[in-house]
Amino acid sequence: MLSEQAKQEILASLKKYHDKRSAVMDAVRIAQKENGGHVVKRDMEEIAEILEMQPVEVNAAAAFYTMYRIDKPVGRHHIQVCRNISCSLMGAEHIIKHLERSLGIKTGETTTDHRITLSTVECLGSCGTAPMMQVNDEYYENLTEAKIDELLKKMA
Amino acid sequence: MSRKGFDLFDLIKKVLFTDFVKGLTVTLGYNISKSITMRYPDEEKWIPYRRFRGLHTLNRDENGRELCVACELCSKACPTGCITVIPEENDSGRGIADRVAKVWTVNLVRCLFCGYCEDACPTRALRLGREYELACADYSCTLMSRDQLLVPQPVPESIPGGYVVKSKLERTPQGIKVTVDLSKFKKRSI
Amino acid sequence: MVTVKINGKEITVEDNTLILDAARDAGYEIPTFCYQADLMGIGSCRMCLVEIEGQKKLQPSCVTPVLHGMSINTDSGTVQTARAGVLEFLLANHAMDCPVCDKGGECELQDMVHKHGPHKGRHAEPKFKFHDKDYVLSPVIIKNSNRCVQCMKCVRVCREVVGQNVLGALGRGDHQEPTSFFRAFMNCEMDGNCIEVCPVGCFMRLPYRYKSRPWDLKSSDTICPYCATGCRMVIEERAGTLMRAKAQLGVGLNSETLCARGRFGQDFVNNPERINQPLVRRYGKLEPVTWEEAISHIKENLTALDGDKIGGIASPRLTNEELYLFQKLMREVLGSPNIDSSSRFSPDAVEGFVAATGMGEGGVSVYDCMEADTVLIIGTHLSDENPVIDYIVRRISASRRMNVIIASPRAMKLDSSANIVLRHNVASENAVLTSLVIGLNEGKLADTLKGMHEAQLDANLKASGVSADLISTVVNRLAASSSIAIIAGTDFLRYPEGISGLGLLKDLLKSRGKKVTVMPVLDRANQRGAWEMGVHPGFGPGYSETRKGLGTEGMLDAAMKGELEALYVVGSDVASMYPGDDFARTALSKVGFLIVQDMFMTETARQAHVVLPGAAHAEKDGTYTNQEGRAQVIKKLLTAPGRAKQDINIIRAIGESFDRSFGPKHFALVLDEIRKEVPSYADVSLSFNNKRNTDNKLDNRGALVKAAAAPAVKVKSFNPASVETSGARFILTTGNHLFHSGRSSMKSETLLGLLKGAVVEISEEDAASLGLKSGEKVRVKGANFEAQMTLLTKKGTKSGVAFIAENFDDAPVNRYFRRGGGIPRVDIIKTI
Repeated sequence: MLSEQAKQEILASLKKYHDKRSAVMDAVRIAQKENGGHVVKRDMEEIAEILEMQPVEVNAAAAFYTMYRIDKPVGRHHIQVCRNISCSLMGAEHIIKHLERSLGIKTGETTTDHRITLSTVECLGSCGTAPMMQVNDEYYENLTEAKIDELLKKMA
Repeated sequence: MSRKGFDLFDLIKKVLFTDFVKGLTVTLGYNISKSITMRYPDEEKWIPYRRFRGLHTLNRDENGRELCVACELCSKACPTGCITVIPEENDSGRGIADRVAKVWTVNLVRCLFCGYCEDACPTRALRLGREYELACADYSCTLMSRDQLLVPQPVPESIPGGYVVKSKLERTPQGIKVTVDLSKFKKRSI
Repeated sequence: MVTVKINGKEITVEDNTLILDAARDAGYEIPTFCYQADLMGIGSCRMCLVEIEGQKKLQPSCVTPVLHGMSINTDSGTVQTARAGVLEFLLANHAMDCPVCDKGGECELQDMVHKHGPHKGRHAEPKFKFHDKDYVLSPVIIKNSNRCVQCMKCVRVCREVVGQNVLGALGRGDHQEPTSFFRAFMNCEMDGNCIEVCPVGCFMRLPYRYKSRPWDLKSSDTICPYCATGCRMVIEERAGTLMRAKAQLGVGLNSETLCARGRFGQDFVNNPERINQPLVRRYGKLEPVTWEEAISHIKENLTALDGDKIGGIASPRLTNEELYLFQKLMREVLGSPNIDSSSRFSPDAVEGFVAATGMGEGGVSVYDCMEADTVLIIGTHLSDENPVIDYIVRRISASRRMNVIIASPRAMKLDSSANIVLRHNVASENAVLTSLVIGLNEGKLADTLKGMHEAQLDANLKASGVSADLISTVVNRLAASSSIAIIAGTDFLRYPEGISGLGLLKDLLKSRGKKVTVMPVLDRANQRGAWEMGVHPGFGPGYSETRKGLGTEGMLDAAMKGELEALYVVGSDVASMYPGDDFARTALSKVGFLIVQDMFMTETARQAHVVLPGAAHAEKDGTYTNQEGRAQVIKKLLTAPGRAKQDINIIRAIGESFDRSFGPKHFALVLDEIRKEVPSYADVSLSFNNKRNTDNKLDNRGALVKAAAAPAVKVKSFNPASVETSGARFILTTGNHLFHSGRSSMKSETLLGLLKGAVVEISEEDAASLGLKSGEKVRVKGANFEAQMTLLTKKGTKSGVAFIAENFDDAPVNRYFRRGGGIPRVDIIKTI
């Protein structure tokens, strides 16, 4: 269920666009923020109603971007590792494997204590400092295994 | 050969029955040599090689599920159009997929045992087995259905074949039946 | 015009032609998955890559337009390698369960790999899977996303053609899955166009699941027997059972689209309830007899009768040949002028409608209508009654600038494509049209309008319930357009008052020098054919003059008075279709000798003295004339069950029992006679179905009938329809449902799976004010009938309008109507 405040926010964002439908990205972002990191079916249905579209269109828009998470709650720390070409060339695969090993989870999963969620994303625009990842809203660049171990210790 | 001259050698041959003995040697030789005929079906039966193309058999996987997915490729490949397959959906685990054969019949009167169906089968469900006693007095045995073909044939796939085994002919009210004892076999070259 | 070189061959094509189309015109085939001419190009499948000289990289030909002087190579080594590469990637995650897949044998991916593909894959990794088991998306669709090639045709056809938009492309890249919202059961039109466009076995038919293989099926290219759109389709059978119906890309006016009825409703042919032997009533019971006995029984009972006391009603689902022979039997052999083809519409209304829509002036193609600047759709719920016309309007109106104006009391799906929607009161088409006429006239009254004053505008506006602003916008648009198409539906036949308005508007627009095309939209497959064959009490074949007789209503009246001694009903269910409570039933019981020829034991057949088993469309040859006036061929695929016969043979057998020389002996010979007798059918040929359309792609103009010599019909004026004054809240209107039309759809297992029980449709606001929700059980109470049904709400329907389709057996809507009692009012009460 979207809160009244979130609905107001969505309605306000409508003003930015010519077409109601264009506000779908904003609306999903608002819903995700309110829900603590992921959007649920119910929210998308409500957004669809506000924007006069079909729920599946909202779903399609949200499912396209890795920044939206559908129906999968995230932990306190959301580790998003870039896996696009620059990072891959600089060893993103190893970084992901290392993270999986040290956290004991697979990509896309959350640790049992709901502390850390690991996922892979498309390019975050920091190719110059590859390999890199984003934890919540912060970038960690030029990653090495040692750097990650240190960071994970901090997150504990 | 002219009858003009007198041939002593010929006379001696006649007195000593040489030709007769020669012929008899062949006869007696065969008499004591190994026989190549079989006392089929009363005592012996020939088990063909694996490559033999006999009666169709439908196989199951190791879990007992039917391998046939009723894709109808066998009936498409059949040059005489003797195979009829009607598929159906069955989720109960009867087959390896949820598609199984509702009807799978082969018309043995039309079948020419070419083995195209076997080649077409994508799941190796269909094999031409080593059963060759297909004769019967009426039409009852000419149409073989799925249930009949799913019964494993007496000669399992593991046996390489190409030899003779002990057999017995039984006369039952249902007809004549040949039972085999696969444990003992004799190599026999043809 | 630009000139390009394709594989060394120079061709000249229009500007902005896609390379793909140019290459196909030049005779080179380029393989595609995601390209479909009717849909927006997305260039996603990459199968159509071609080499353009001077460009380093290959270009997708389905989204790249030709430029002057381009030199294109469609089959070079690089292109072939690229195709093989694309296919290898598509197969990397493809489920490869072809032996199980229903598409196996007619799969585009199979064909492509066979032709272009790498015959060896290098991907050894485990395959990505969306899900393990196939899931059901709707009562007619089952889905396996693991086979998807991400062409997204399903999503596009759902949005751009059908207008439902219930499918979305979820995810990205190779993990993109076209499916419904959270893979949930879809509440859509169930037309299965997504199944039809799917090149692989991702979307599959549920009714056809694991039934057959394409090579087992025998097919015939025929015409859909439901509405009068006249969609071409292929029906296929296996071992005497009709398996499925499908449309063909680029063939017929419908191309690859069909509606739920057309695609899934053909299985009524297989229904075990079909009558399979002739029955004669003996000692009050219908007993099986031989054909000879039945025919001689009919002869005995008809011989001594006066022609005027015999009536005949033939269903508009019979072929032209059967209808022609039927009217010949009635008029020439039995000497009766009393023939009709409809149990719902009055003969006068039909005559007026035929005149107002100009059916006598020859065929009008729907694609002609779509070339107009303004299209006015009135008197029909197009989205439900003629869904394929709805698709055509939606698709074309999105691709060019045109005005689409829809006037209807009920909301419809097509409203979203309309520029203006006029939500008028029930049965007020005349008021709407008259307001438009007055508005267009701007006070300068033409001769035809003498005596009509502007003061009347207010009265008309009030009667129609449409605001003056909307009318004036429509008037402005009409005035600004140089060509106008009017699509007029069956509501004009139900409420004939509108016919004069329609005639008036047409004449006025014509007098202003505009190009006006009027296309009738009808709800029975061969309704227009029935009229053109002269199965009407007012005119003979080709709308010729003839001795006037009684229509259905007149015949029932005569029967009530005991004056009708015999009635021959072919394929029509008068008892359950005639609007007027129990009247038809009582009247039929008083008919001296009732012969019913039908596929099923209908209400009417139960009262018959002789029941003759007829054949379905799949079991006969002949021609249908659709609403546009396109005479198209239907082809026999199956044989009628048991001892049932083709209707043409039954009609002929009856005729022959009176006159040995009756009728041509074969349907093709009957068509020859029609060609001679009806000048407008002179060019109709049986070979239309064999031709793939070439000109204008979908529009087979050769099949359109020509103008009749001297149509004996004229526009009439009718009394306004009155509405009952019972004080009940809703005005009841009727028509066809999306899933049901006529009687045969109620015998189709698949369609009954989509909708079985009766539904009543009202607006969302009305439901809210009554405290009712969609899906609830309600009682619908009229003055003389009451029934329980399910409530459906629709956003945007006019308040105070209730709609019940005329097809449901459990709530026969004709029972609400009273003969001569005007439009009934009903109340909707919640069932406790």
